Amino acid sequence: MSEDVTRQQRDKTLKVEEVEDLVSSDTEELAQKCSVSYKALFAIRRVLLAQHTAFPVSGADLYEELLSSTAILSTGNPSLDKLLDSGLYTGEITELSGGPGSGKSQVCFGVAVHISYQLKQSVIFIDTTGGLTAKRLLQMLQAETSNTEEQMEALQRIRIFRLFDVFTLLDCLRSLRSGGLQASVGGGSVKAVIVDSVSAVISPLLGGKQNEGMSLMIQVAGLLKTTAKDFNVAALVTNHVTRSGGGEVQPGLGVSWSHIPRTRILLERVEKAATIGCSSRRSATLIKSSRQPCHIKEEFDLQWWSRSAEGSSGKRKLDETDS
Amino acid sequence: ASLFQQEALQVAWRKGGGDEGEGGAEERGGGRGDEGGGGFVSLTALELLQKEEQLRSIVTFSSQLDGALGGGLPVGKTTEICGTPGVGKTQLCLQLAVDVQIPQCFGGVEGQVVYIDTEGSFLLQRVVDIASATVRHCSLLAEEEEQRVAMTTFTVETILSNMFLVRCHDYIELLAELHLLANFLSSHPRVRLLVIDSVAFPFRQHFDELSQRTRLLNGLAQQLIAMATNHNIAILMTNQMTTRLQGGQSQLVPALGENWGHAPTIRLLLHWMGPRRLATIFKSPGHMDSTVQYQITSEGFRDADQLEQPQSKRPRTHIDQSPVN
Repeated sequence: MSEDVTRQQRDKTLKVEEVEDLVSSDTEELAQKCSVSYKALFAIRRVLLAQHTAFPVSGADLYEELLSSTAILSTGNPSLDKLLDSGLYTGEITELSGGPGSGKSQVCFGVAVHISYQLKQSVIFIDTTGGLTAKRLLQMLQAETSNTEEQMEALQRIRIFRLFDVFTLLDCLRSLRSGGLQASVGGGSVKAVIVDSVSAVISPLLGGKQNEGMSLMIQVAGLLKTTAKDFNVAALVTNHVTRSGGGEVQPGLGVSWSHIPRTRILLERVEKAATIGCSSRRSATLIKSSRQPCHIKEEFDLQWWSRSAEGSSGKRKLDETDS
Repeated sequence: ASLFQQEALQVAWRKGGGDEGEGGAEERGGGRGDEGGGGFVSLTALELLQKEEQLRSIVTFSSQLDGALGGGLPVGKTTEICGTPGVGKTQLCLQLAVDVQIPQCFGGVEGQVVYIDTEGSFLLQRVVDIASATVRHCSLLAEEEEQRVAMTTFTVETILSNMFLVRCHDYIELLAELHLLANFLSSHPRVRLLVIDSVAFPFRQHFDELSQRTRLLNGLAQQLIAMATNHNIAILMTNQMTTRLQGGQSQLVPALGENWGHAPTIRLLLHWMGPRRLATIFKSPGHMDSTVQYQITSEGFRDADQLEQPQSKRPRTHIDQSPVN
């Protein structure tokens, strides 16, 4: 390949700098302009094409690979698992959208705690809103077990990044990819990447006279997708909501983003009274899925993650609220 | 951060002088150095837990509210107070601006405060009242030698001198001030609280395009939480209320739109129920939603008088309310 490189260096003088330029330009013309022979240029072109091409794979092989590499991670909450067809699938992006206070961050914490404690695998948590407190993670762990050592071990398996703008997010995702998604001290491999929330860093850039917002959004999406695919992790992102023309609540970031996640869930408060209440009930609606019929709804209680680990006592409110 | 913001920042640095400009750039890089510049600092949840345990919250002097918030206003997070006029938002802000300066030996944070006033509701005389009440309260509690020594420097004068007051008249001044604040915070590492009273007022005027307002607010929110995390300060904002019409019914909701609801980490709603004032936590990733009662006295923000029964026919005896610390 070094021969190729030196030749490419020479070609720079002819304004052929990128692989695309070399491949798309006329070989005869190039051979005339620079001192490289036509045959050599042809060979270089073939090698470059082979290097950069995507290989077709048979469906059977793909299916085998999928069966062996995809894992389904339970979220820890049976109602959500029912909606998600038993959990988060690795290799895919799942999106949780909802208004403020609808429980998106709580679900993310619950998923992180469940994966790190029950499944004993690592989680990467990227927090862009500042809503993550380790105390809350500890509270959720204390509901699972009262053994402090196990709690500390589980906490060590959650790796937290706190960043607040899209450029840092892109850098972070790129460095994670190039670093091979190394797990933290606690052992186990990384099984989930959670970004809470992706809309907080992208929505200041969308709309108006700015052109960069869309492209940055798609770059983030591309990085998440390839990371999920290459490293067999489940990507979970959260999104805000906006109101459509008819007053309907819909996930934010627009139509372009709506194609990115494979599965989308909309969380809402279950409000009984007209005032802002203190209920911890939430409803989750499946709005996009390739596996389940859409618009199925499940209700759950945010206190699921604060339930006590001990056996069912009559005083547990959760027995009647479990759907 | 869009290019426009970068250019504006450079102009601001250059105005500050050549050397300072470079120093400012370095400090800014240093401030963000945790996350930028090759290699990201990530914490495990365990390390974050240990970090959080070292942070103290800012007490509000209402033990019920402090209990609901898990100790008080959390440092390193953004909190928003919504409420109708007259319910006590500015009072709580002034109380917290004094409380952040309580010496560490009394369980306080011993920090300075930057108070950004956009409505002109900062009343110096009220601050003096609250400060004197707090000083009185602490001197009554002073038992150990360390506390007595601390009381000599904890006076109304020092409290006032540790408050940095900024008056912004419109949203452009507010945004500019917040941009320059990062430098200010680097040169004043003792600041532990930033109060913006109110964030709604400048953004409810002069906006023809609501989408531009939403974008600016989203950008503002990210800036604030970045400042809170990197400089370890608590940010407190007040918001006004507006009416939302939904299917023929009207409902009182916080202003600035639903999108703004995602911006603060914790949201408190102060509202009336009859003659009583109630504070409700309605958004918090770390605490349960709950409602507590409070009152505003001449000494500031306090717990409600526990024996007060609105329907009681017995004459109420006025009990001196001293908050449990």
